[in-house]
This record gives sequence, C-alpha cells and structure tokens, in this order.
Amino acid sequence: MPSLLGSPPIPPPVPDESHPNRVGGSRSHSPGEQRALPDPNRLAPEDAYYAPSLLKARAAAAAKANRDDSLRTLKGNGNSAAVATLRPLSAVSKPDAEKDVRSVRGTSRRRRRRKGAWKKLLWVKQSYPDNYTDTETFLDHLQRNPRVRPYDFWPLVADSTVIVQHVCSVVIFICCFVGIVQGRVSPVSVVCWGSVGTAVGWILWDAWAKADESASGPERVVEGDTGSSSSSVVDSTHPSGTGQKDSQVQGLGLSMGSSLPGPNRYGDSRVSESISPTANAIHQYPIPPEPSRPLRLSSRNRQRLSTVKSAFLIYFALLGLSPILKSLTKSTASDSIWAMSCWLLIMNIFSFDYGSGEGAGATKFPASLSTNAAVMASTVLASRLPSTTHVFSLMLFSIEVFGLFPIFRRQLRHISWTGHVFLTLTLVIAAGGAVGCTLRGGWAAAVVGSILGSILTALAMGGCSWWLISLQKYKNVVIGPWDPARPIIRRHWD
Amino acid sequence: MPYNIAMVSDFFFPQPGGVESHIYQLSTKLIDRGHKVIIITHAYKGRTGVRYLTNGLKVYHVPFFVIYRESAMPTVFSFFPIFRNIVIREQIQIVHGHASLSCFCHEAILHARTMGLRTVFTDHSLFGFADAGSILTNKLLKFTLSDVDHVICVSHTCKENTVLRASLDPLMVSVIPNAVVAENFCPLSYAPRANDREHGALSELRPQPKPIGPNDIITIVVISRLFYNKGTDLLIAAIPRILASHPNVRFIIAGSGPKAIDLEQMLERNVLQDKVEMLGSVRHEEVRDVMVRGHIYLHPSLTEAFGTVIVEAASCGLYVVCTRVGGIPEVLPQHMTTFAKPEEDDLVMATGKAIGALRSNKVRTDRFHDQVKMMYSWTDVARRTERVYGGICGDISPEEFYGYYPGQGWEASGDRVRSFALIDRLKRYYGCGVWAGKLFCLCVVIDFLLYVFLEMWFPRANIDIARSWPKKLNQQEEKLKARTNRDPGTSS
Repeated sequence: MPSLLGSPPIPPPVPDESHPNRVGGSRSHSPGEQRALPDPNRLAPEDAYYAPSLLKARAAAAAKANRDDSLRTLKGNGNSAAVATLRPLSAVSKPDAEKDVRSVRGTSRRRRRRKGAWKKLLWVKQSYPDNYTDTETFLDHLQRNPRVRPYDFWPLVADSTVIVQHVCSVVIFICCFVGIVQGRVSPVSVVCWGSVGTAVGWILWDAWAKADESASGPERVVEGDTGSSSSSVVDSTHPSGTGQKDSQVQGLGLSMGSSLPGPNRYGDSRVSESISPTANAIHQYPIPPEPSRPLRLSSRNRQRLSTVKSAFLIYFALLGLSPILKSLTKSTASDSIWAMSCWLLIMNIFSFDYGSGEGAGATKFPASLSTNAAVMASTVLASRLPSTTHVFSLMLFSIEVFGLFPIFRRQLRHISWTGHVFLTLTLVIAAGGAVGCTLRGGWAAAVVGSILGSILTALAMGGCSWWLISLQKYKNVVIGPWDPARPIIRRHWD
Repeated sequence: MPYNIAMVSDFFFPQPGGVESHIYQLSTKLIDRGHKVIIITHAYKGRTGVRYLTNGLKVYHVPFFVIYRESAMPTVFSFFPIFRNIVIREQIQIVHGHASLSCFCHEAILHARTMGLRTVFTDHSLFGFADAGSILTNKLLKFTLSDVDHVICVSHTCKENTVLRASLDPLMVSVIPNAVVAENFCPLSYAPRANDREHGALSELRPQPKPIGPNDIITIVVISRLFYNKGTDLLIAAIPRILASHPNVRFIIAGSGPKAIDLEQMLERNVLQDKVEMLGSVRHEEVRDVMVRGHIYLHPSLTEAFGTVIVEAASCGLYVVCTRVGGIPEVLPQHMTTFAKPEEDDLVMATGKAIGALRSNKVRTDRFHDQVKMMYSWTDVARRTERVYGGICGDISPEEFYGYYPGQGWEASGDRVRSFALIDRLKRYYGCGVWAGKLFCLCVVIDFLLYVFLEMWFPRANIDIARSWPKKLNQQEEKLKARTNRDPGTSS
C-alpha cells in the first residue's frame, strides 16, 4: 500500500485474547481442563459429528462429576435429544471417531503455536483461511436449557388443583343450566344457593381482610398508602404481599362496582382508578400514621357499603336487562347457540388466569378475555330459557361463578392450603355428582358420578403431571449470542 | 480463472439497506477482478426488466408477486423457467444467493442445483430458535442449505448461528465480513493522503483536530431505524439520564420507525427538545454528513450480525459506544469502542466513560479512519469471496480449500464436494427431518422433472447467448499481466 507509507503508526494493537467477549475468569483455566470436565450446558463442535460416541464420553464425564441428580439426568437426556434434533444430517460414521480428545487437543495446540493463535475477530488479518473453525472458541457461548427447572411430581399435582377447581366450577355451571332447561331444578333455588354461597364467601373474605389489616399493625397504614400509589404505577410485579391484598380489596370493589365482573388479576388498581375513583381515593390521602385509626375503620366500612351498593346495582341492572337478554338471540338456531357456548366456555377455561396473581410473566391473555367469554356464553345460553326469572337467575349465577368465585378461590389458596384442598375436593365431588344427576337422575347416579368423577380427576391429575415431567426430556432451549438481548430498563415514571 | 456469477436476492436497489449495498459492492469489486456478474432480483415499482448499473453490472428485475416487506411470494417452482432462461443466456456457473429471508434466493439455489450449477449462500442475519417465525425460517434454510456448496457468513457469531440452524459442516461456512467504502466515510478534518509521498512533510503539517476542552459540547450521534430490536427502548431510557449527568452533551438522532413516537414523548416529558435533535430518516449517502457532526456514536442495538454502521461511524472518526450483542464485539478493536451490556444502567455508565475518555483526549479518533480503511475493504471481501468460488469450482483443491487439520475432527465428512447426482441430492434432503425430509425430496423430484420438461419444451439451443459487457482492463492490470507473462521467461 504505497499511499500509506508516510502515515504515522496506524496498525492497531492486536489484543492477546482470542475473543473480546471472553472475560478473564474463563481464560484462567487451561483448555485441557475445560475439556476434561465438559459442561453439559455447552455444545462442543465435535458434538456435531460424533454425536453418539461423544455423548457417551460426555455422559461418563458428567457421571464423574457429582451434580444434582435430577438436573443431570434431565440435562443429559436433553443433550442427546438435542444433538439429534440439531444434527440429523451428521450421521457420518467414522472409524476413528473414538479418537482420544486429549491428543486432538495436543496436536491442535502445537499447530496453533506454529501459526499464531486464531482470534475470533473480524478486523484482524489472520493467516487462517476464512472457513477455519477453531475448536476451542467455536460455539463456546452456546448454552442449552439454562433456565430449566425440573418439576417434582407432588408439587405439580398440587398446582394442578387450581385448574381442577375451575373446570369443576364450569362443569357445575353447565349442569345447573341443563337442569334448569330440563326443568328438573328450579332456577330460583339455584340462584339462592349461589347467592348464599357468595354471601358466605364475602363474609369470610371480609374477615380475612380485617384480620390481615389488624395483623400487620399500624405501620401498614403508611405502607398501604405508598403501596397503593405504587401499585397503581408498577404493574403486577408487586413484591409485597400486603400490597397484593390491598389491591385485592380494590379488585373486588371493581368487580362489584362496575357491573363488569372481572377478577382483577393484575393485582393493580390502574383499572379501578379509572372506574371507581372513590375506592382508590381513600388510599391516596396522605394519612399521617397516628390519627388514622378512626379514619381507617371508616374506610373499611365505607368499602363494605360500596360493595353492598354495587351488589344491588348489579342485581337491579340484571333484573332490568333480563327481558332484553331473553330475546337477544331468539332468531339464532339452538344448534349455533350450543356450539357457540361450547367454544366460549372452552375459551374461558383455556384463557383463565390460573396464576396466583404474583408472578410477572403469567399475564399473557387479559383476564377479562376469560371472564367475558364466560359471561357471553351464559348470555347466549340464557336466551334459550323460557322466562325472565330463569334468565335473571342464570345470569346472576354465572356472575357469581365466573366473576366472584375465582377471586375467592385465589384468596383462599393464599390464606389456607387446607381450605384450598377441601374446596377442591368439594368441587370435584359436586361436579361429579352433578354430571351423574344430569345424565341419569337420582341420588344413586349422583353418588356413582361423584365417585367416578373423583377417581377420574385424580387419575387425570396424576397422569398429566407425569406426562409433563416425562416430556421435559425433550426440552432443548438453545441460547447463544445471536439471540436478541433482553434490555433491562428501570422504569421511572416521575 | 474468471467465473460467471449470478447474485440472487429479493433485496436490491432501489431499496436501500445493508444487504443491497453488500451485493452491489461485492459485484462491482468482482467485476473489477475480471469476473462476470449479473444480479437477479424481483421487479420493484417502476423498475422491471434488464438494467445496467455502473461498470457493466447487469440487473434482471423479474416480475414477481411481492408479499411482505419486499419478499417475493414463495412459490417454489414458478421462478424456474425464467431463472433457467437467464442462467443459460448468461452462461452462469455460480449462483450466489443472499439473505435468508429472501425466497428468491432459496428458490434460485434449489433450481441451480437441479441445473448442475455451483451455489453459494451468504447469510446476513441472526435468528433465534424459539419463536414460530424463526422455526419456519430455519426449516426453510435447512432445506436450501442441505445442498448448497458453500455458505458465507458476515461474522463468527453469524457462522455459529447458521451452522446450528442449518446443521452444516462448519468447514463449509466461511466468515467474510462486510466492509465499508472508506472514502465515503471520511472525518471532517481528513485530508486525503494520496500525495503523501511527494509531500512527505505535509502529513506532519496536517492540522490536528483541536482537543476537546472540559466544557466543550460533545455530540452523540444515533443513526438507526427506531425499532424494538435496535434497542430504541434502551435509548429512550438512557438519554435523560445521560443528559442529566453530563450537561454539555447533545444528541442527534437520525432514523424513523415505530418507536419514534415513544422517543418524542420522552423528549416532551423531560423537555429535552433543545438538547436532542431528531432528524427523521436520512438517506444512506447523507449518513456521513450526520456522523461527522458528532464525537460519539451510540449503538444500543439488541441483536446485530455485523453492524456495518459502527464501522462507518469509526471510519468517520467517531468513538463508538455499543452493546455487546451478536457479532458486534468482533467488529472493532478495543480502543475504538466502549462496550455496554444491554442494560440501561450499563449503557449510561459506558456513555459516561466514553465522554470522559474524549474529554481527557485519551482517544485518538483522528487515526480511526486510516485504521478502518486498513481493516475493511470491499476489494478484500471480493478477493476472499473469489477464493470461495475457486474452492467450490474445484480450482482450489479440496484439501487446500477445506484445510487439512489432522485430529481436529473436521476432516470427517467426505461430502463436502457436493455431487449433482439426483440420488445424492435426495439423500441429503431426506435427512432434514421426519416429515420435512420427505416433503423436500418431493419438491426436489418435481423440480427435476420440471427441469427435464423445460429442456424438452424450450431446448437450450433456442436460447440466445447474451453478449458480455466488454471488459475494461485498466493499464495497471495490463502491465501486471505482461509482467507475469514475462516472468517465466526470465526465470528459465
């Protein structure tokens, strides 16, 4: 390059490390050591070719290293499956596949010393050909199944109770509807029992809230104040349990106050802020800690009052709407109604928020989708009923089952595990009995149905959990530097 | 030995972009090296048929139905007749496809293999393995690359990704980086050194850019499309904090996209309009004029295969602050860059460090241009690509091309020189997957039958051969040729 002859010393210094991504720590131990104890998380380039033989070697090495047992088996299995899926083409059988890896190392190092180390850099002119593949650095940032968490059987079964509860309540609702349509059950009795249950649930729930308030003492007032203001800005990732309950309180206020019974599963009060400003405003007063006691009690009472008020609002609104709802889909054929309500209920089951309301990433669908689907299903079903009373009862019942019951269930699970299990059991038996009754009629059928239902449910819970665990070995998440990074941004909303 | 090469991609001028300029620059430099290059792309609005670009670069704009973001409709077979016609007409030997999202390129590689041509594929982008779109693209890529002769990737990270995605033999993948036309990205105070030898002292007299004082304004330039994956969220979060801690800093942001609204909202909320200048989208030839207004180039991207823009920025004499993602860490030396994790706090910190380094005049940004000019040039890219062509055409022996690394484990497969026999091709495709393998085999068989049909229906003899653009040998090359011709004589 003659034009550059007179220039000042241009060539940039060539760094020692072979890849700028590498941190000093990973370089400290020699590559030989690294090879002797292969990290099962990483795919070495040889894996591409000697999948079977190398896996054996790797598995043996992994067996030597005493790792967490379940995790190892999981990852080991994952490895073989992964290589198989990643490398179906590389079924190249080689006679010298069982070559000692160590000697490979040695020769490659000798050669490298001769030619100067290859660097994983683009701006350095290197004496290696463009298709040179460095055994040491090639794919060294690949990770597989980095965040995998092995499931245990019993916790999984325990967690599946949530789904069972919801499915059972849907089944009970359908059976009630069938009973009403067939004239075997009086709609008024259904709605009365439902309302009694709701009232009992509300009283329990109120008592819990009160106990919770008195338990956390006066400092909670201040925290409640800041908690509510922060829970209106931070989304569902609210860390403190008290803030969670606090927003649960508002959640109920929303679902009653706004004739749109949605279990406020975000756990935030952004929505309620817009709909029921009174409930929120109570919390946003800058209350000084000491003289707040009488004010707080009154706030509790005021909340009760508003709950009762909204309950009556829903009651009368439904009463007024019933004639309209009754004739809403009169012109639609019954077949379409059955199909539609089926789909809507399935949608409800699949999009229902089974999370405990604490996890951040659980919110894939809005909770309103599930509730709206259920309410719409009951609306179209209600239009098949003969009288306004029927329609009103079914609608009220559906709001109780799909709108309020989930909130209660979630709170119950939060408060007492025994109660949760007991409720699950009750629901399973009730659903089984209801199905038996609907199919055959009579108490005998109900008993047989509940027994059968319980057994089937238990089998399904166990079977599905086992299935999920056995499917884990196919898990193969490949993560590397090519994945889009997840930006970490601190939110400030000042 | 000169080759006849067809570059095939959906993406070409008049659409601007990295792949487009890569194809153009590479083709031009290959033509300079004596090859014949044509480009096949789909018809753009108002641009159909055959066009000639500078230097006799012939572009075929094939009319085709475009579905999404200038990608042609994937029809698998309908491109074959016209493709065959072009290939025979131009006497093509090597088909070189670009960009993994281009259906044209994939189809062309399939048809070219059926016609018995050598194929090369250049991958310009990174894909994950998780989402549905990536899985589909990866399957398609595996289909095409099962039978390709060689693959070129723009960075080592990209190579790792492609090898995993398409289950390739790593030695069949070369890493040839992008390059920049350094002359188009000169710093403001740069005097060309063409006549340095005559005026040796002049280079010493070249005015040094005046050092940045502690209270001088430092301008940070951001040029990127404002998309999520370009890290605009990070930028939005970082700007107010950078400006709060460094009062004498200004921002210039060029580019447009869906995140522009968020950016503007941030500016309004923090009342930063007088410190942040938003230029909207700029054309590629204006990029340099924007860049030279600044001191630091900030690149907060979340994924990047190569990151040509940071090379351009360094070439303009800007200090680069970028996130350590994808292939970016391989691109520039340490003294030109400050790396940050893709986190708001780290980005703010890294920018602060860069500002501090500039203020203390520790960074010799005035030397960047010459250094970048030495690192990246399209001539070099063309030379390295030519070696790939030589390797797949058998002009370089396989041992030399693929290298002989005893004991490294790479010498395993004897399948690198891909035979054209249909049964061998079917074997390769069959390994693509339980269902996909059979489907791919079906496609290949149909493609072959189509080829036989076309040979009968439109025989080769009836297709005219296009006349090549007259080659222009510049004097230097002629002299060189004369010398090489003379050399054997003198030595013997």
